[in-house]
Amino acid sequence: MLWLYLHFPHLLLDHVRRSQPIENALVIVEGTGQHVLQACPLAQDLGIQPGMRLKTALGLAPDLHILQADQQQQAQLLEEQARWLYRYVAHITLAQPDGLWAEVSSLQRLYGGLTAIWQTVEQALAEHQLTAWAALGHTPLAARLLARAGKGECSADKGHIQRALSQLPLAAAEFDKTACTRLNRLGLETLGDVFALPQKELARRLSPELLATIQKIQGTRADPRAPWQPPHRFRQRADFIQEVEHTQGLLFALQRILAELEDDLCWRQQDTDTLLLVLQHRHQEPTRLRLRTTGPEHRAETFMKLIRLKLDQQPLSAPVVSLVLVVRRFISREAPGGQDLLGETQDLNEAWHTLISRLQARLGDQALKQLSPQADHRPEFAWSAGEVKRSKGSGPVNPQSLPRRPLWLLPGPCPLTDTPVAWFSGPERISGGWWDGQRVHRDYYIAQLPSGQLAWVFRDTQNAWFVHGWFG
Amino acid sequence: MAMGYAELCCFSNFTFLTGASHPQELAERAAELGYRALAITDACSVAGIPRAWAALKDSPVKLITGSWFALEDAPPSAATPEFVLLARTRKGYGQLCQLITTGRRRAEKGQYQLFAQDLETHELGDCLCLWQPPSPVSADADQALACGQWLQRLFEHRLRIAATRTLEAGEDQQLARVRWLADDLRCPVVATGDVHMHSRERQPLQDVLTALRHHRTLETAGHCLFQNGERYLRPIPVLRRLFPEPWLRETLAIAEDCTFEPGSLRYEYPPDLVPENETPAAFLQRLTREGERRRYPDGTPMKVQALIRKELGLISEMRYEHYFLTIQDIVAFARSRGILCQGRGSAANSAVCYCLGITEVNPANVELLFERFISKDRDEPPDIDVDFEHQRREEVIQYIYQRYGRERAALAATVIRYRPRSAIRDVGKALGFDAALVEQLLDGIDWRDRATNWRQQILDKGLTRNPKVADQFFTLVNTLLGFPRHLSQHVGGFVISAGPLAELVPVENAAMEGRTVIQWDKDDLESLGLMKVDVLALGMLTAIRKALALVSEEKGEPFRIQDIPQEDPATYAMLQRGDSIGVFQVESRAQINMLPRLRPETYYDLVIEVAIVRPGPIQGDMVHPYLRRKHGLEPVDYPNDAVRQVLERTLGVPIFQEQVIKLAMVAAGFSAGEADQLRRAMAAWKSHGDLTPFRDKLIKGMRERGHSEDFAERLYKQICGFGGYGFPESHAASFALLVYVSAWLKRHHAAAFYCALLNSQPMGFYSSSQLVQDAKRHQVTVLPPDVNYSEQDHTLEGPDNHLRLGLRLIQGLSAQGAERIHQHRPTRGYRSAAEVRQLAGLDQRDMEKLAGANAMPGFTHNRHQAYWQLLEHEEPAELFAQNTGIRETGDDYEAEPCDYLPEPTEGQNILADYSSQGLTLQRHPLALLREQGHLKHCTQAEQLKGLKPGLPVQVAGLVTGRQRPGSASGVTFVTLEDETGNVNVVVWLETARRQRKPLLTARLLHVKGVLEREGDIVHVMAGKLTNLSHLINSLPVSSRDFH
Repeated sequence: MLWLYLHFPHLLLDHVRRSQPIENALVIVEGTGQHVLQACPLAQDLGIQPGMRLKTALGLAPDLHILQADQQQQAQLLEEQARWLYRYVAHITLAQPDGLWAEVSSLQRLYGGLTAIWQTVEQALAEHQLTAWAALGHTPLAARLLARAGKGECSADKGHIQRALSQLPLAAAEFDKTACTRLNRLGLETLGDVFALPQKELARRLSPELLATIQKIQGTRADPRAPWQPPHRFRQRADFIQEVEHTQGLLFALQRILAELEDDLCWRQQDTDTLLLVLQHRHQEPTRLRLRTTGPEHRAETFMKLIRLKLDQQPLSAPVVSLVLVVRRFISREAPGGQDLLGETQDLNEAWHTLISRLQARLGDQALKQLSPQADHRPEFAWSAGEVKRSKGSGPVNPQSLPRRPLWLLPGPCPLTDTPVAWFSGPERISGGWWDGQRVHRDYYIAQLPSGQLAWVFRDTQNAWFVHGWFG
Repeated sequence: MAMGYAELCCFSNFTFLTGASHPQELAERAAELGYRALAITDACSVAGIPRAWAALKDSPVKLITGSWFALEDAPPSAATPEFVLLARTRKGYGQLCQLITTGRRRAEKGQYQLFAQDLETHELGDCLCLWQPPSPVSADADQALACGQWLQRLFEHRLRIAATRTLEAGEDQQLARVRWLADDLRCPVVATGDVHMHSRERQPLQDVLTALRHHRTLETAGHCLFQNGERYLRPIPVLRRLFPEPWLRETLAIAEDCTFEPGSLRYEYPPDLVPENETPAAFLQRLTREGERRRYPDGTPMKVQALIRKELGLISEMRYEHYFLTIQDIVAFARSRGILCQGRGSAANSAVCYCLGITEVNPANVELLFERFISKDRDEPPDIDVDFEHQRREEVIQYIYQRYGRERAALAATVIRYRPRSAIRDVGKALGFDAALVEQLLDGIDWRDRATNWRQQILDKGLTRNPKVADQFFTLVNTLLGFPRHLSQHVGGFVISAGPLAELVPVENAAMEGRTVIQWDKDDLESLGLMKVDVLALGMLTAIRKALALVSEEKGEPFRIQDIPQEDPATYAMLQRGDSIGVFQVESRAQINMLPRLRPETYYDLVIEVAIVRPGPIQGDMVHPYLRRKHGLEPVDYPNDAVRQVLERTLGVPIFQEQVIKLAMVAAGFSAGEADQLRRAMAAWKSHGDLTPFRDKLIKGMRERGHSEDFAERLYKQICGFGGYGFPESHAASFALLVYVSAWLKRHHAAAFYCALLNSQPMGFYSSSQLVQDAKRHQVTVLPPDVNYSEQDHTLEGPDNHLRLGLRLIQGLSAQGAERIHQHRPTRGYRSAAEVRQLAGLDQRDMEKLAGANAMPGFTHNRHQAYWQLLEHEEPAELFAQNTGIRETGDDYEAEPCDYLPEPTEGQNILADYSSQGLTLQRHPLALLREQGHLKHCTQAEQLKGLKPGLPVQVAGLVTGRQRPGSASGVTFVTLEDETGNVNVVVWLETARRQRKPLLTARLLHVKGVLEREGDIVHVMAGKLTNLSHLINSLPVSSRDFH
């Protein structure tokens, strides 16, 4: 067996950088924002190191761009890498959060030698604009340790690999902390020093677990790794550290993703006719765009045209912080178009869902909305017409405690022209919303107009009167 | 007739994250609006009362003390009651405090928990209850009625139903319910405002606080926020439109009925201390006389006698005997336990306190400004802080609890307030700003630069795109600054009372287990005229006591502070050289630089030395004039005799806070009252005070009296500098005594001095490593920790007083383990690691620590082998050990060395020493690097002293400190340590900017620069900085950084 290990030292950073060209140094910080987890090469040139306090990092580079770490996203990114590698290698194992193994001994013949494999992988990495440290080893652990230490070489020579391993410092051996401290205290500095200790003594004086790890590195103990299975969908994401305000800014990232989709479809020998593009905003609900091609399709160019068209029709409602492209529907190239292979209707068996789907199909996605109350004192923000929710269940607002409001709320207040003939309740004072620039300060009353209509009227701070709704 | 109004339900910002105005703001606004009375009714708290009281003391508005409560549970089939309790009388106030105490003591810090049962069991007969009935949404009519009936049973005719009109949805239904309940219960209705802020403008801040309380952003807070901003103190005409007249009249009737005034709280001194048939005055006089005989066995000097008479007269007149007796009692306890202590503060350095043993400052030697001893004009208690050995202060605290009981003694609170960082963080959170960006903003702000354009920074950092929001942010942060966040415990301010403390002020839990605090802080106590005793901790007292014990042992007889010869020239000579590492107060870098310039020769010089390196004199530019005059380079003159009296002891230059205040009187014509206002403003300046009103008066007054404008300006700057860091002569005098004592010990008993200092760690400026190096430079032989010689603590060994490091130095070694090693050591010593393990009963962890520290040199080849040996024993062979015990035979104590392990190199040993003990007795790492040729062309710290100024030099050293003091514009001071001492490097702002990376990250730094010299003080002005940290890769040296 021969294992190739790829270590991605700053996967999230690479991911962000290829979505948007950035001049400044960039770091990923852990959740609380106190310490640097990953630093891009530019940041490292400025002296910023992983593990450094953010305060110090900012002292070194005041214009630093900062991103919060996101484990889930990192895990997805790693899967993305496994996905393209899967085209070359059948046996892949993930090492969350930042590495993966590929079993390459069986490929040597196929590719005509180790060098060819190595180059293929390196070229693919370059195409994906990713930094990865690669190494070969006869055991999974050997490959991993060498890769993470940056000591990998394109050689399957056992003696050569053994020498490289022996020279690794103890800190690079990934032993548990106690074992590492103990070995240090014994004056041992390299992995070779540990290899040299009699195994019996090692187990007795340090721990049987440590011996087991050593044996796994050296290959005298089995270390099976279950192969990874690619999921049945395509999902890619791009994050922008500078919010994108115009459609143009999205296309750069989409180009790469669509190219990968095309590759993926070609390799699957499948087509698709439905793309889901989700644009995330900082403060608003995400924009979800469903794109349907006229027939089964796999070309990035066609998808791109479609997306351009859609975005031209529907300008961005708010700046975009990230986008996700998802394909769930795959159509076999031989199969007649339109046939549902993977059973998209499977989870739509409830009558409710069927109804919504039919209505949407008939009227178009945009035409169908669902009304729900919002927790806001301002009447115009106290409701929303959002995307139809697939799951029923009440929102955050308890309808019992809602105040008395007219069923018919006007799209906007209209000046009150008639003098009311009778007043029924009020004033109810509503004052709020100063934080989003849409401050209201009004006294509401229920009043009967000469026409007999029951109106919801208010007076604003300038003493002007408006009708805001009608009671039945 | 105009109808008046009294607000009876009002939250201040002491209901944390709820009230949006300070108590004093509410008080002032109520006065402006012509309210008859104002009740401050914080949630289960009276913490805001003293501040409101201070604001309303001289106003016609009456302050009513009350508190708001929501119970945890409901009476049977009733709604959960929410209500306000108002104290009608002093007795009612005591009942209220008791109830609050019950609720607070039961819950976690900052919370309260009260149950329906508590109202049944607590006596509340002198309190009024204003019930806020539940809304129709939260409870049905039956539950509401049941709740009212329950309260009526408890409070009878002292129950009122509170009606509020805030113009919110559903108000009609609520008012209908109030009327119905009033009818059914035959209970009067009273109008209340449910006030959360003094003015409507605070609505945004109130919304922010509410959002924070619910852990939401404003955007997601939704219905948690109030519907409008009507919960403010509304003008009376507005209220008259909203409420029926009887409801308003009822507020006045209640205000009339509540007669309790916080000002009537009088401190009742604990009578415990005075013998039965003696008056406090006579007892104090007796104790003083006894002390006098002890202090002046050859007869009290006339001057002192007169002083004692004067002081006792004053004390008696002000009836402060109990205060002095209380402190005397605590000090006497400490003395009986051999705990070193010393009082300071104006009242502490009095002749009476000297006789009572509260201070060692002999009034015969120093003359202090006694006006502040006790001021007759100001009706406020005297102030004495007592410092105790830091490791034993807890004993004193326990004594106080034991002597007076937990019911009568508690710590004063410290109100933790919003500071710029916390305010920015919280407002940012409420506005939904990205937390990482807010941190970035915080780091980018230069806090000393008052002109920082926040608004621009907020927009630049992309926290928001909306310029309006940026403005809002700024306003909100500024308003939130100074708001109380929570109550914490004061460092040592005790309140002791005659009766149960909980009837004087509510007591709540502190964060620390077993500690309780009262709801008031020291300013509150001062404004109400209540006494507190400060029991503080001081590390140097620990060190001095331990050093004295070692000296006593050496001399074979007790050696006390009093036995130290006074005014010893050798001690002063040492200080004049700036040789002061470890000496109290004068060991900082700035002080070390000042010592050779000031050249102290007498005790009083030390008093000045302690006070002069402070923001006050520095900002007032008083340092250079003083030094010039002291060294006769400038004539000493005084404009007139009045000024001469104030400034004579400091050669005409104001140094101390008292002098500045006194000067404002004699040189600028301030009245005693105005001078006192100035003093208070100075003390408060740091938090919220404003000194500008005094500026014009000061400068005008001084010009009129013929002083130069320049001098007046400098004096004003000095006043500003004192703000928050005021350093009075009375404190400096006490501190200077400890400076002298510690310096004398260092000069004459160096081994004992360093040993004691090391045993008192952590304290002071320097790490153990730095202290040990300094000890070695003072010819003290230091020996490593060794299981066969060391005790837990560091000790002096042999006739030559070698300093043997103790096992406590070994990081991670358990204290019990260390103790047992010493206790169970055989007279012949330990002979093997196995024996240490067995006899001392050590676990594997402790054994590994010993091996790592190389603390078994007697029977192990080296630390690697020692470690190898003991790893074998990790799985103890129980059976085997039981059968044979220790093998006491022959020579097999030495275990076979393992061939696979390398001999430790010198570098490895140094590294291992640092990581196990934080220091090494082997060569300094720099010596090693120098030998290996890494530091060519570098000059050692010691050699720098012999070089000419202006020469280009190169130095290298471990970075032990980086400091950017506020008083030096943008300069960074870096301290480098090499094998011969410390090098002071000065990095100018421009240099620092260009070389951030080495400056901020290097642990081993190489500096090319120019040598500068001022007298004996040598600096290197940095040019090129190079990071050499890779040479000491894993050396765990930490730098103390002050940004």
